[in-house]
Amino acid sequence: MDEPTATFRFLGLTFDWSIVISTLVSMAIVVAIAVFLSRRPSVRPNKRQNAMEWMLDFSNSIIGGQLPKDLARKFGLYAFTLFFFVIVSNEIGLLLQIKMGDGVTYMKSPTADPIVTMTLSIMTLAIAHGIGVKELGLGGYLKNMLLTPYSWMLPLNIIEQLANFLTLSLRLFGNIFAGEMLLNLIASSMAWPGHFNGFLTILALPLEMIWQGFSLFIGAIQAYVFVILTGVFIAQLSGNE
Amino acid sequence: MLGTTLLAAKEMPLGDMLFIIVAFLVLMVILKKVAFGPLTKVLDQRADKISSDLDGAEESRQQAEQLVEQRQNELDQTRQQASEVVASAKASAQKQGEDALAKANERADSIHQQAQADATKMKADAIAGAKSEVANLSVAIASKLMQKELSVDDQRALIDAYIADLDHK
Repeated sequence: MDEPTATFRFLGLTFDWSIVISTLVSMAIVVAIAVFLSRRPSVRPNKRQNAMEWMLDFSNSIIGGQLPKDLARKFGLYAFTLFFFVIVSNEIGLLLQIKMGDGVTYMKSPTADPIVTMTLSIMTLAIAHGIGVKELGLGGYLKNMLLTPYSWMLPLNIIEQLANFLTLSLRLFGNIFAGEMLLNLIASSMAWPGHFNGFLTILALPLEMIWQGFSLFIGAIQAYVFVILTGVFIAQLSGNE
Repeated sequence: MLGTTLLAAKEMPLGDMLFIIVAFLVLMVILKKVAFGPLTKVLDQRADKISSDLDGAEESRQQAEQLVEQRQNELDQTRQQASEVVASAKASAQKQGEDALAKANERADSIHQQAQADATKMKADAIAGAKSEVANLSVAIASKLMQKELSVDDQRALIDAYIADLDHK
């Protein structure tokens, strides 16, 4: 976390190059996949459309398991985008990491950055709280959030709301960050360039492959968890538990 | 405003967060246009189509069942009619046969009777002819024998008695 970063200022705000680039690349990949897989959709689907429909069905079923039908339909697009973006973001760092000579990592998994995951969870929670107010009214929303099931649980509920934010964002960040960290550790400690370490260097390849496979799995699971928790929070805060 | 300056002072990554949120919203819009919207429409259409197809299938099945029932009824009716036709044809054929037989019998009977009557008459004629012949012959013989004129009429009784005697022999 003490790595050097490259920033630029724009309109008085500071932007981090690595976040901007990583996010844009991930999103570009998402858009490319979506465009490629869902060109000319028809009632009788072809292979590509089937793949896309499978993803759409998946995100719809995640959110449909948590929410009543009308809400689930309303949040279908959000869940779909979130799932698609997070899963691509989780996996991209396993494939592509670019570290320049100045020590700055310009390209990595966006979700290996706490700022990105915190922003995503702020967005999710803002939506969940917003829909809570909209569905229950301000009083009902506060009562549902803070005084349920018993009013003496108020302090616990306040802590829970704060914890929700931290767990949602840090779970995703931790998993992906740790995965990439270990990948880099294996690569740099066992097979750093210019050094041949005998058996260890050869061992690095299968280890790296195993860990990449495992990280792929973790990344998919975390994307799923993130979306399912989004559904849970929306359900909780809108009183649809 | 105070909040913002405080956050800026602690180098809160506001720019990054804003960037991510805006980028995410743009991504959402693009995905909706590119994938989510069309696919959801297609999925809905498919769901509609499947449910209407199922309804249609149910309807067709009922129609088919009805048709089968109707066909079966018609078949039964036709079969019945056919057997009726056959039965009536049989009956009329039998009746005609019987009629023909009866007519033939009648005709045979009448022919037989006619023949019998003819035969009887011919026999009677023959007998009568023979009688008169015999009588004349007898008288001639007798008159020859007796050289005497005998009246046929006077001797008729005697002749008849002879003939009856002949009949019996």
